[in-house]
Amino acid sequence: MSVSTPALPAARIRAALASRRTRYGLLTALPVVIYLLVLFVYPILGTLALSLKDEQGGFTLHWYADTLTGINLSVLLTTLRISAETALASLVLGFLLAYAVSRMRPLFAALAMVLVVAPHFVSALVRTYGWIILLGDYGVLNEAMQAVHLPGAPYQLLYNEIGVVIGTTYVMLPYTVLLLYGVMRGVDRRLLAAAASMGAGRLVIFRRIYLPLVAPGLASAGLLSFILSLGYYVTPRLMGGPNQTMIASLIEQQVTKDYRWNGAAAQGVVLLLITFAGLLLLKVVGSLGASAKQRSNS
Amino acid sequence: MIGLRSTRTGRLALTVGATVMLLYLALPLVVIIITSFGDNAFGSFPPDSWTLQWYEVLVADGSKWPAALSLSALIAALTTVFSLILGVTAAIALTRSELPLRSAVYALVLGPLIIPQVVIALGLFLLFEPAAMLGSPVAIALGHTVLAAPIAVLILVATLRGIDERLEDAAASMGAGRLTVARRITFPLAAPGMIAAAIFSFITSFDEFFISQFLASGDTVTLPVQVFNSLTFDIDPSVTAISALLIAAALLALVLVALVRWLGSGRRGSLLSVEATAGIANHGRDAG
Repeated sequence: MSVSTPALPAARIRAALASRRTRYGLLTALPVVIYLLVLFVYPILGTLALSLKDEQGGFTLHWYADTLTGINLSVLLTTLRISAETALASLVLGFLLAYAVSRMRPLFAALAMVLVVAPHFVSALVRTYGWIILLGDYGVLNEAMQAVHLPGAPYQLLYNEIGVVIGTTYVMLPYTVLLLYGVMRGVDRRLLAAAASMGAGRLVIFRRIYLPLVAPGLASAGLLSFILSLGYYVTPRLMGGPNQTMIASLIEQQVTKDYRWNGAAAQGVVLLLITFAGLLLLKVVGSLGASAKQRSNS
Repeated sequence: MIGLRSTRTGRLALTVGATVMLLYLALPLVVIIITSFGDNAFGSFPPDSWTLQWYEVLVADGSKWPAALSLSALIAALTTVFSLILGVTAAIALTRSELPLRSAVYALVLGPLIIPQVVIALGLFLLFEPAAMLGSPVAIALGHTVLAAPIAVLILVATLRGIDERLEDAAASMGAGRLTVARRITFPLAAPGMIAAAIFSFITSFDEFFISQFLASGDTVTLPVQVFNSLTFDIDPSVTAISALLIAAALLALVLVALVRWLGSGRRGSLLSVEATAGIANHGRDAG
């Protein structure tokens, strides 16, 4: 702080206040910043370092080559596939549910929202267990389908991909519903009415007016559930078969059973990079949506 | 309301579709609660006869559940303390000061919410393993705080933003010191937010599985790890009873947070509204 420059008293006081507020800010921000640097950023950097080390401590990329070949590659591809399926399913269901909630009477809408949010509070393990009871060969769903003599029942709904996607979609649904509900509430319904008054049919209104308005929200909701599914462990592990092993299960197994920490670290870094790519895409979609909004407002 | 007139078929389709999806949301929880009172935990549904035996098994001699429960409660309590300290200081920094690199601090705080938990757990494992801290409840709580603190920060930032700063300025102008302002003005107004942050931190830790699994040793088995083991290795029917209790506890927490938020807002608006419920799950974060 320069004391020598003669400034107006008000400006000087403001400058002093600003720097005091700055020091106060730095002081109060310090605990969380240090905490997360030590227990969040540093461990991830440690993981990165380990993934680049060979047994003698020299530099190597062969853990990455390992990750991107053979069984490990197929696990990675399975992870991407299941995440994409989950994102799609939770997007479609989330869209319909959010739309229904946005059109309901306030009391029903509130009750529906409680049903959306309540599972979010329950441990994912417990929710998965509920699905295991529901989807088993003698579970509620199969018993019901057999009771109405549906051809082919009982179906195999557990320990395969259907089971995993049902379970992961269930976990992601609250996120997409909440996000899309916010987007839909922002839609100016007068635009729809205006289109209708000019003779547009329902389908045209939906396709030409409504969908473009909610498209950025749809894209970010889908991406978000894709990203959140990538590292998911509990449901694929409990509801999937051997062909639904996802990367989190693989990492867990390498660490606790095979003691292949370097390999696990490389897989973790690959997962992290995919996540970052998804986040980048999310940001691009967000800014595209914002600029589209600006254009339509001006 | 200005908008499209809805057709009868449209309304019907909407009602049916919404009902099916709400059933989809509710069924897994309902089915656990019903099964927990049935005599055959892994068998057919609905149960043939009713019993309380799985609840009795929970507290019987030699049951693993009481130890797992108290360990999880201890870790969750530690996590709550850590994350409230970090949350309060960070929220003050983010709302009541000139903070350089504010967006970088924000990004750092939001990071743990979006980075895959397995990456965080792996990093913590590699950090604590050489320090021989695996299996220490404190290590697990430190790990859980990485996940809980960001949520506490979000809730408390929203809380502090909602408090009229002019009230603090008015008190300061009348000679109250910084601490007096904090104690007499800000703290009482922020109390509901702090309670909500505490409840969320507690739940986050109490339900957390992955970090606990990675940092556990043979005798530090938290409740979620025990539930997982009961579902995979030793098929243990009493898991239905503990799951039903966990659902009840989660719903209680949800009601508690809703109540605290409602009281904190000066009983403005309805206790049961879409906005209130969505706000709980969003931690006061703006959508989008």
